[in-house]
Amino acid sequence: MIEREALELDILFVGAGPASLAGAIHLKRLLQESGQNANIGILEKAVEVGAHSLSGAIVDPRALRELFLDKNDQDFPFEAEVSEEHLYYLTDNKKIPFPFIPPSMNHHGCFVASLGKLTRWLSEICENEDIDIFCGFAGTELIYDEDRIIGVRTGDRGIDKNGAQKPQFEPGADIYAKIVVLGEGTRGSLTKKLIHKHNLMDGRNSQVWALGVKELWQMPAGTVQSGYVAHSMGFPLGHDIFGGAFLYGMKNDIWNLGLVVGLDYKNPGVDSHHEFQNLKTHPWIRSKLEGGKVIAYGAKSLPEGGWYSIPKLSVNGAMLIGDSAGFLNGQRLKGIHLAMKSGMLAAETISIALAENNFTEIKLGDYEDRMKSSWIKDELLKVRNFHQGFDHGLFGGLTNAGIGLLTAGRGWGFKDRLTSEAGHLQMEKGLKKDRYKDLQFDGTYLFDKVTDIYHSATSHEEDQIPHLHVNEPDICITKCAEEYGNPCENFCPADVYEMVPDGENQRLQINFSNCVHCKTCDIMDPYQIIDWVPPEGGGGPTWINL
Amino acid sequence: MDILVVLEDNHGSLHRMSREAIAGAQQLGESITALAIGQHASLLADKLSGVDLAEVLTVSHELVSSYNADGYAEVVRQIIEAESPQLIIAGHTYQTRDYMPRVSAKCDIPFIPDVISAEDGSYVKLVLNSKLNATVSASSDTVILSFQSAAYSDEDLVPGSCASRPFEVNLDTAMVRSETEEPFQEDAGDVDLESAELIISIGRGIEKEENIPMVFDLANALGAEISASRPVVDSGWMESFRQVGSSGQTVAPKLYFSLGISGAIQHVVGMKGSKNILSINKDPDAPIFEISDYAVVGDLLEIIPKLIEALQTEKNS
Repeated sequence: MIEREALELDILFVGAGPASLAGAIHLKRLLQESGQNANIGILEKAVEVGAHSLSGAIVDPRALRELFLDKNDQDFPFEAEVSEEHLYYLTDNKKIPFPFIPPSMNHHGCFVASLGKLTRWLSEICENEDIDIFCGFAGTELIYDEDRIIGVRTGDRGIDKNGAQKPQFEPGADIYAKIVVLGEGTRGSLTKKLIHKHNLMDGRNSQVWALGVKELWQMPAGTVQSGYVAHSMGFPLGHDIFGGAFLYGMKNDIWNLGLVVGLDYKNPGVDSHHEFQNLKTHPWIRSKLEGGKVIAYGAKSLPEGGWYSIPKLSVNGAMLIGDSAGFLNGQRLKGIHLAMKSGMLAAETISIALAENNFTEIKLGDYEDRMKSSWIKDELLKVRNFHQGFDHGLFGGLTNAGIGLLTAGRGWGFKDRLTSEAGHLQMEKGLKKDRYKDLQFDGTYLFDKVTDIYHSATSHEEDQIPHLHVNEPDICITKCAEEYGNPCENFCPADVYEMVPDGENQRLQINFSNCVHCKTCDIMDPYQIIDWVPPEGGGGPTWINL
Repeated sequence: MDILVVLEDNHGSLHRMSREAIAGAQQLGESITALAIGQHASLLADKLSGVDLAEVLTVSHELVSSYNADGYAEVVRQIIEAESPQLIIAGHTYQTRDYMPRVSAKCDIPFIPDVISAEDGSYVKLVLNSKLNATVSASSDTVILSFQSAAYSDEDLVPGSCASRPFEVNLDTAMVRSETEEPFQEDAGDVDLESAELIISIGRGIEKEENIPMVFDLANALGAEISASRPVVDSGWMESFRQVGSSGQTVAPKLYFSLGISGAIQHVVGMKGSKNILSINKDPDAPIFEISDYAVVGDLLEIIPKLIEALQTEKNS
């Protein structure tokens, strides 16, 4: 029996993203107002807050304004207010402006921002308010007392690649809390277990996801207008793959360029990293990057399903917030304000639950009621059928979105709810096509994956069990190779999965130390045999400004 | 005394990085004193008789006859106290990493390790996987530095003359809490890539584990150390301490002979400081060629056996 350290808190948030940080700050203040006191802690698997935070991002300041009534927009760590806005349809070599920017794509009054900067800023406020953030510790197991969650176990350190204890072995700690709030972000590993065990997706649409891939480019002085915003559809994805590109101007002449690719494409050969490289061959994008230098790379999945894909939010002793619960507006390409608001609404419920010392599912269900009478619902209900329309290609999706605008979100103008199918089920067998025959990595504008990963500053303790668990590795070399042609080599934006020759045959090599924690493999693997679990705490990318 | 250079004894000869440290010190100041500690102290002093130094101090106390961190740290502390140098310099070796932080703590002097260049009180270090250079300066007038391997070249040593002077230190057993036994070589620890002058490094182009012994034959013929890029280590064909790159070692030999290495940036940051780079690769577009001084496009499986044969013939003739 391993002896573990135990720590008792009142409230534990898992994952120091915008949802948890805003929730913790709001909770602390509510408790002060009502004369209560509670120990609040936040677990974060990254070596510091912000190192695993990645988003576009254009931020709607609504939740920040509500959280910080005493502050002005100028006080928030934004890059710039959106000053110029474009929406283009890209052909192979031209860009065609949309005749008008639909209200849902209008970013007037919003701000270009770096999520990493925002979470760091929020974490400083947490520290000043005595909220403990434990960085470098990943939650790896939920601790139950019968059917009630009473805490989280953190990962062991110092286990070698064969599973044996190294001299510096340090067992994970058990952190007990009255309520565990999962704000793990997209496709959280504890969240996945929780949803599965308690059937929290019953009656919901399957969650559908997209993968965002981005780079930061340092440009010559005076060439980037901060607050410049452009979005595009069309090239390089075409009409059958959901997604589009973004180009935002940050401070200090930095371009923030990215591509979002829906993880519900049919061709198993689609490679989001390569699509992104193709984007940079477009003359318009190329002209923007002229004379610049790439300084950072990152990738992260995002839940696109919307209103009907939000799971049940509470169980006995636990709640789901932020991306873990799918709070993202796919049409507005925004989730940070919804994530923060969900954390704050959860905090309101927690404050009452603490006062009444009642942590049952029914009591914590108050959070879902609050969410349903908040602006989160107003906003998400209007776009509730947005992503589903794109099952019919780009023009189908746009038509559906357009009609949705006129009918307060009805699908095709009359259906209250369109269903969705999980993205990995849409991949078609025997269809693997190489879309990248002409793609040449020139090392100046276009980079192979390994070079891009270098720019994500990713590292992991090398001597540990790979944190990508492939449950039936035989499938990779038999069924998957035959049916889908090993799409893991393509969908992973960090070259983690590699089929290498092994005598006469092939074997799967898992380069886990490249992993940027985007969770795409866990989502997109057609047989659902990959389980992404947290590596030893502190491992992963060290993003600064993504 | 302006600068004190602490020497490292390498079985009775002077560690290459100590010579480099002196070369670096000569570029930084006028009056340089070297310090030799241990049973070979006077031997080391003799080896420096042709180098332009103010003097060489020798310490041959029985408690530091062979290396131990407590003893070395105390010796260096006493010399700093007696001679008040402004800069204390050593090569960035394993030994330096062991005792120098103790000196820094004992004397409350800042230690800036693994420096690649120094000028007028600012010191340059590689940071963030060697992606950036950081210029560091110290808040105090006195600073301890260690120089990265090959930051300076021992070929630039300024010749001249110097005398040696024994220095009496006060050491007692209470100060030296560890006892040093006979040095021994463990198989793994045998490989000191960081101070190797000639390294043969192999990559994915080696294709099969069966081809590895051939590379060891070549290394024996040339007297080289062997390192590898990541895929070779990942395949289990080579021990992980031989890996060069961002998740392995940083090396800077006089010649880095790369065989079948493509030159991914993660590998390159670990060896780009090498004096000369000679590369063999089948792919003429391999990025390794961009940083190579000598490039051979060809199949290493054909070339290596011929190379070994040629070396043998030359040896025999």
